[in-house]
Amino acid sequence: MKNGLWPNLFKGWDNKESETINTLKLIPVFKNFTKKEFLELEKLVHHRNFSENEFIFKNNAPGEGMYIIMKGSIKISIGDGKNEKILANLQEGDFFGELALFDDEPRSANAISLSESKLIGFFTPDLLALKDRNPVITNKILFNLGQILGERLRQTNSLLLDQQKK
Amino acid sequence: MIKKTENQDYIKLIYTLFIIILSSFFIWLIWPFISDVILKLVFAFLFTSLLLSSVDSLERKIKNRGMSVLIVTFFVIFVIGIFLTSFISQLSNQASEFSQRVNPQTLTQEFNNLGNKFTESLPDFASNFIPSNNDFAITLSKFIDSALNSLASLAGAVGGFLINAIMILIFTIILLSEYHSFRKTLVAGISNKFFESGLKLIFNIEQSVSSYLRGQFIAAFSVGLMSILGLVILNLIGANISLIIFIGIIAGVANLIPLVGPFVGMIPAILIAFMNNIGNEIATSHLLFGIIPSPFFIFDIILMFMIVQQIEGTMITPAIMGKSVGLHPLMIMISLLIGGTILGPLGMLFAVPATAILKIIFQEIMFVRKNSHLL
Repeated sequence: MKNGLWPNLFKGWDNKESETINTLKLIPVFKNFTKKEFLELEKLVHHRNFSENEFIFKNNAPGEGMYIIMKGSIKISIGDGKNEKILANLQEGDFFGELALFDDEPRSANAISLSESKLIGFFTPDLLALKDRNPVITNKILFNLGQILGERLRQTNSLLLDQQKK
Repeated sequence: MIKKTENQDYIKLIYTLFIIILSSFFIWLIWPFISDVILKLVFAFLFTSLLLSSVDSLERKIKNRGMSVLIVTFFVIFVIGIFLTSFISQLSNQASEFSQRVNPQTLTQEFNNLGNKFTESLPDFASNFIPSNNDFAITLSKFIDSALNSLASLAGAVGGFLINAIMILIFTIILLSEYHSFRKTLVAGISNKFFESGLKLIFNIEQSVSSYLRGQFIAAFSVGLMSILGLVILNLIGANISLIIFIGIIAGVANLIPLVGPFVGMIPAILIAFMNNIGNEIATSHLLFGIIPSPFFIFDIILMFMIVQQIEGTMITPAIMGKSVGLHPLMIMISLLIGGTILGPLGMLFAVPATAILKIIFQEIMFVRKNSHLL
C-alpha cells in the first residue's frame, strides 16, 4: 500500500503549479497574470462538482459570476423539452457566465452539466472583495474582460454587416 | 399515488422535527461548556468586522496579510493601552489630590452644608420630601465607603476581564488573517443550487454588518467629541471639570448602549465636578440660567449631555446609518436585558449591535427565500 504521509508532507516542494492554476492560465480573462497573482487568484476561486444533467444555473436566475470547466462538458441552452434550443456545447478549458461579473441582470440561458463535471467558479462578491485588497489584479481582470467583450462586439458587428449585405 | 406522496411528506416532516428536537436537546446539554467560547467568538467576529476593511486596505499597500493584521491589531492595542494607563494614572492623581484636599472628618460636614443649601434652594413643599439633613449626609458618606470597599472585588473582575480580552484578541487575529479562506471553506458546504445566492447573501451580510459597525463607531466618536467641546464650554463658565478627554471617550463608548448609555456618560462628569468643586462657594451656589439651583454645575452637565444626545440622535445617526437596521425600542430593551444578564455591562455594550446583525442576517435570508423559485 502506498504511504500518503511523505507526498503530503512535501506537497508543493517540487514547485509544480496546481491543476487549478494550469486551467486558469488557459482563460483569456486572466491573461498577463504573474505567478504570484495566479496564486492569489487560486485562493479566491471555488471548486464545484456537478453530476450528469444537473443545472449549473437556470435561465432568469440571478447571476453572480463565471465558471471555468476543469473536467467534463456543459450544455448552454434556452427552453426545455421539445422547445430546447442548444446554443453551445462547452468542453474542458472553456468558460461561461462571465457577463454576470459585470452586471446585475439575470442569466440569459440554462447551463447543464452533460457528464460528471468539475468547474472552477469565480464570482462577483470575490471580485469586489479583491478590489479592496489587490486592485492591480482586479484591474487586469476587468481590462481583459473588456477586451473579450470588445472582440465579441466586433464579431457581432461583422456578422450583422454580412446579414445586411445578403 | 397522491396518498403515497402525502405519506412521504409526513414522514419527511416528522423526520425533520425529530432531528430539530434532537439537535436542540444536544445543544442544551453542551451549552454550559461551549457558551463561553461561543460568546468570545461572537466578540471576535464583531472586532473582525470592524477591523477587516483596515486590514484589507493596509494589505493593499504593504502586500502582506500577516503583517497588516499584526500592525492593525497592535495599533488598536496601543491606543487602548495608552488610554487606559493614562486614564488610570490621572484618575489616581485626581483621587489622591481629592483625599489630600478633603479631610474625611470634614467630609460629613461638607455634605451637611451641601444638604442645607440644597433644601434651602428648594420651594417649601419640595423640601418636606427631603429627610433630615443628617440622614442625607450619612447616606452619602456610607455610599462613598461602600464604593471604596468594592474596589477590591473590582481588581478580581479586572483580572478575569484581561484573560477574556486576551482570548478574544487571539481569536480576532486568527479570524482577520484567515478571514478569506474561512469564508471560502464556509461557502464550500453550500449546495450547488443555492451556491451563488449563498455567496451573495454572505457578501451582503458582511457589507451591512461592517457599515453598521462603522456607523456606530462614527456616532460614538462624534458624541465623544461633542461632549469634550461641551465640557470645555462649561469650564469656561467656571465648572472646573478635569479629565475632560476621558469623560468624552467614556460618553462616546457608553453611547453605543441605547437608553442607558447617555446616563453612564454623565456620571463621571458629575462625580469629577463634585470632587473638584467641593468646598467651593461659587460652585455650590451656582444657578443654571440664573434661576435653577445647580450645585457643582450638575444640571448644566445634565443639560449639556442631553443636548449632545439630541444632536446625535436626530442629526448624526440618521445621516450615517439610515433606517435600514432600526430596531424597535422593545427589541432594544429585551436585547439589553439579555446582554446584561449574560455578560454584565460588556454584554449591554454588544447586545444591540449583535441583535442588529441578527436582524440583517434574517432579512437577507428572507430575501433569498422569497426568490428561491428562480434557482
